[in-house]
Amino acid sequence: MAEESLGESNRTNAFVLSARKRTMQKVIKTAGEGMLFAAASFVAVIVLFIFYFVARDAVPFFQIRGFSEFFTSSNWYPADDPAQFGSLAIIYGSLMVTLGSALIAVPMGVAAAICLSDILPFSIRQYAKPIIEMLAAIPSVAFGFFALVILAPLLQNNGGPMLMWAWWILVSPFMILAVIVISDLLTTKITDQKRRQQLHIFFLILFGLLSVFLLFKVGTILYGIQILTGTNALNVSIILSFMALPTIVSVSEDALQAVGREIREGSYALGATRAETIIKTVLPAASSGILAAVILGIMRALGETMVVWMASGNSSQIPEPWFNYLQAIRTLTATIAGDMGEADQVTGSARFHVLFAMGLLLLVISFISNLVSERIVVRQRKILSGQ
Amino acid sequence: MDARESSGSAPAQKATRDIYLPPERRKISGGDTTHISAKEFSIYYGEFEAVKRVSADILSKYVTAIIGPSGCGKSTFLRAINRMNDLIPSCHTTGALLFDGQDIYGKFTDEVLLRKKIGMVFQKPNPFPKSIFDNIAYGPRLHGVNDKKKLMEIVERSLKKAAIWDEVCDRLDKNALGLSGGQQQRLCVARTLAVEPEVLLLDEPTSALDPKATAKIEDLIQELRGSYTIMIVTHNMQQASRVSDSTMFFYEGVLVEHASTAQLFTNPKDTMTEDYITGRFS
Amino acid sequence: MNIGTRKILDRSFTAVGIGSIIVMAVALMIVVVPIITNGIGAVFFTGTVEHRKMLFSEFKRGDSEGLSSEVASSERYRAKVYEMLTGFEAELETMAPEKKAEYKSKYAQVRAALQALLGPLPGDSAPMLTRFKYGQTRWEKAEEKLHDFLYESKWDNSNPDVMSKEYFVSRAISFQGTSLVKLFPYVKNNLEYMLLPEFTVYWGFITDSSVDSHFFGGIWPEIQGTFFLAVGAMLFAFPLGVVAAVYFTEYARPGFLNSMLRSANSTLAGVPSIVFGMFGLAFFINTMKVSESKSVIAGALTLAIMILPTIIRAAEEAILAVPKTYREASLSLGSTKWNTIATVILPAALPGILTGGVISLGRAAGETAPIIFTAAVSVGSAIGLADVFSSPTPALSWNIYNLASEHEAASQIRHVQYGMVLALVSIVLMLNLSAIVLRARISKKLKG
Repeated sequence: MAEESLGESNRTNAFVLSARKRTMQKVIKTAGEGMLFAAASFVAVIVLFIFYFVARDAVPFFQIRGFSEFFTSSNWYPADDPAQFGSLAIIYGSLMVTLGSALIAVPMGVAAAICLSDILPFSIRQYAKPIIEMLAAIPSVAFGFFALVILAPLLQNNGGPMLMWAWWILVSPFMILAVIVISDLLTTKITDQKRRQQLHIFFLILFGLLSVFLLFKVGTILYGIQILTGTNALNVSIILSFMALPTIVSVSEDALQAVGREIREGSYALGATRAETIIKTVLPAASSGILAAVILGIMRALGETMVVWMASGNSSQIPEPWFNYLQAIRTLTATIAGDMGEADQVTGSARFHVLFAMGLLLLVISFISNLVSERIVVRQRKILSGQ
Repeated sequence: MDARESSGSAPAQKATRDIYLPPERRKISGGDTTHISAKEFSIYYGEFEAVKRVSADILSKYVTAIIGPSGCGKSTFLRAINRMNDLIPSCHTTGALLFDGQDIYGKFTDEVLLRKKIGMVFQKPNPFPKSIFDNIAYGPRLHGVNDKKKLMEIVERSLKKAAIWDEVCDRLDKNALGLSGGQQQRLCVARTLAVEPEVLLLDEPTSALDPKATAKIEDLIQELRGSYTIMIVTHNMQQASRVSDSTMFFYEGVLVEHASTAQLFTNPKDTMTEDYITGRFS
Repeated sequence: MNIGTRKILDRSFTAVGIGSIIVMAVALMIVVVPIITNGIGAVFFTGTVEHRKMLFSEFKRGDSEGLSSEVASSERYRAKVYEMLTGFEAELETMAPEKKAEYKSKYAQVRAALQALLGPLPGDSAPMLTRFKYGQTRWEKAEEKLHDFLYESKWDNSNPDVMSKEYFVSRAISFQGTSLVKLFPYVKNNLEYMLLPEFTVYWGFITDSSVDSHFFGGIWPEIQGTFFLAVGAMLFAFPLGVVAAVYFTEYARPGFLNSMLRSANSTLAGVPSIVFGMFGLAFFINTMKVSESKSVIAGALTLAIMILPTIIRAAEEAILAVPKTYREASLSLGSTKWNTIATVILPAALPGILTGGVISLGRAAGETAPIIFTAAVSVGSAIGLADVFSSPTPALSWNIYNLASEHEAASQIRHVQYGMVLALVSIVLMLNLSAIVLRARISKKLKG
């Protein structure tokens, strides 16, 4: 039909169809759209299924054992008779490595994101971004292998010196800065030019000596530390932080980019330096987006399995003292991965179901933090576009 | 095909028709019927009435220009004719817009077949990222022409009609995005012509082009006059006076005046039209 | 604050930002460089005659004449060792009983060290495990074993406050006065002639299957398993993800239902990978019974739902990046909506969609946790394509964990582990690099 009508420009009323044809068309269209919708809602169905199937196998555990043991005891002896399923130490271990990795990854990630969005010229940024993408692409098991085979022996054999050097390299620049800023702040109020200079130099020398002493003292204490096992919370935290970094950097960079140029220009026009502009105007405007980035990054660390399984030492204990990152710990993910093979899934004992209880705990935490971060992002977008 | 709404309104009243035709321009045989006609036609974006109760007749095979300040609804009106506004979810219409006496917004209208008859060229040249040949052949292929030889014929004929054949005949397999802006726009015209439309809608076709390319497009419009009903939206009043037979002036969604181009530009009836064409406001 | 301090603060602020990017780059180097340098050693290394013997008898590869002449020349030097051993054994019989007992246990250690170095000695019963049938196949390992042979390692526990320290005692000294004392310098000086090291390129590491749980041979079963799992996951997730993205971008109307679907998508993206594994076990295997127990298909399905959100997001972005004008042009030519999507929008978005697909493929290949309970086994040979519905498979990611953490001789086969890690990392990074290149080309094309 179409072929014939192409040749001549005939004036038929071909664009109006019969009622039946039009209805048919509509039915086909609706059916097609329905099929697309089915494909799109598949994801939602899967999410519901995940919740249902994990919860289905988790509930029997709480029916058999109740809640209090799971959350309050740290006696994890699932193979003993009678078995004990106190998971407090395991939950604590998960939180510990998550916190540890956040402490490293959040400042670094936000600094890197600021650098990418506000400081580096476009030409360099092009090369910096693939680095971050590659870091995100490296499989977790490769990181775990690195942690177990390279980092753990290093920590075990040269832990003290490594800690000392890390302390010096990381902290000395900030110490110097702090000395300069504090001595400046202490002398700004003095009006007499000459006296002010004298005092300034005096403070610089005083605080300088103090900080050198502090650096040296802590350094020697760290040097003396003996690390009993290289597979410990510190090792895992370092590696996890590098796995969480790409997420934090890319999501917070998006948030920073969303803050318009006008805000920045307004601040520069008032005579602020770049650092002041970013800290006082850009960061507050992007803060909720950065918070979302941090939540997503932390979730990556909490949900990571292979690194913690391979390099955390897998010992179910709360370290002594509680903040000691140099001891072996055990996490939820590693427990699930490691114990599932030994748990008797056919008869469905408590030992099998406790692992699903742990999975459910992880699932609920990740679900809540996802919702929260999503809301935060939506709200920020609204605020920024509303202004 | 079931012609549900019989052609009651066409042909248009012979008396009014003459006011659209400038005496100094060549008359076109067969160009004496109303091709498109709006009756109390309004377009809404949600609550906002963008085009207000427009009534007008557009004559077959002549060039009709639509002018007016930006935001006056002229593009909206043009896009309504081949139902491009369907892409905007909140858009709806009242009144009637007839094409060959059939309601464009009728219940049984198939917008796909309609668009085949009413082609459109857009503000910015928008060739597909394909070869020149595939760009032109896209429409015919859609409508069932797959024979290579026949396609080649159509491509050649369309490119010749759009006066671009000589410039591209030796590189039909090259990516169309490699052409200059003016060439791309003529390619878009050729692409539209390849599906053999009856009406050609041009939405500010030269606003993204330099003066030389603009002149070529205007020449092309003159070439096509008499073969197609052409409607052109333009910002440029000189362009409207150069290329069109009749001109519609829109202001804030209202069709203020519709007359032959010569009359509208030399002796406007409405003071608003006069103010606009003399540059009191724009 | 005075302006000088403010400027210093500004500079150091910049320095902190740049510093953290440099730290990330350095971290990437620190992780990747040892993996590459050690991983290459799995293919390029100095191999001994034992390696060639192993290749010949396990894989029927190599030139038999050349090998037998090599073996003959190495046996000439080994013969002297065997001679010394029999000489000492005879001497042992003549010793006083308590002295004999003391030397006997020491001699057993020497013999064991020599076995590790050269393979079974004359008079040994044929070993059960393939790993004991050959001496050291790699020269750098042979040198380590030579050290073990020459020195006995002891631990110094004298100071209870610090960790005990390892120290070495020469074995030659403890055999002072016996005929065996000559053995140690002989082996030390002639090891090269006994093992005949030469530079070896062992491509078979990629294409061979493993012998005796990765003591010898290659990693082909793992590579193939990873390929099956990742490609299988893509077969499910890619079409579904693209169709869902088309729905979200072209058909979905804003509203409660739509925002629910989007929330579901980001929830799925945030589910920890180990939970996918549990779900795969509970749903695909225990409930749907797609297979009796672990299988490639169950693993691929689990991986598919894991990468689905990534694919949907990438495809959505790619479709949204297609200029609106293409849509208008196509529709104005009388094309239907569906036709426009199929002939204009999807082809224009294809590079972007593929970029997302390639990255997801890499992610599916690299993930471990979802396949632990659904698809992975630690030992096994390469499976045929027909077995994907019923049998599990070894996979690179899982076997890296397994060899490094659970293998009974993990520290002896580090080169295999490194080789596997390098194989996995290079597969994943290649995929990602090609995605980066693909994207750069798209943005160039869109610019004009």
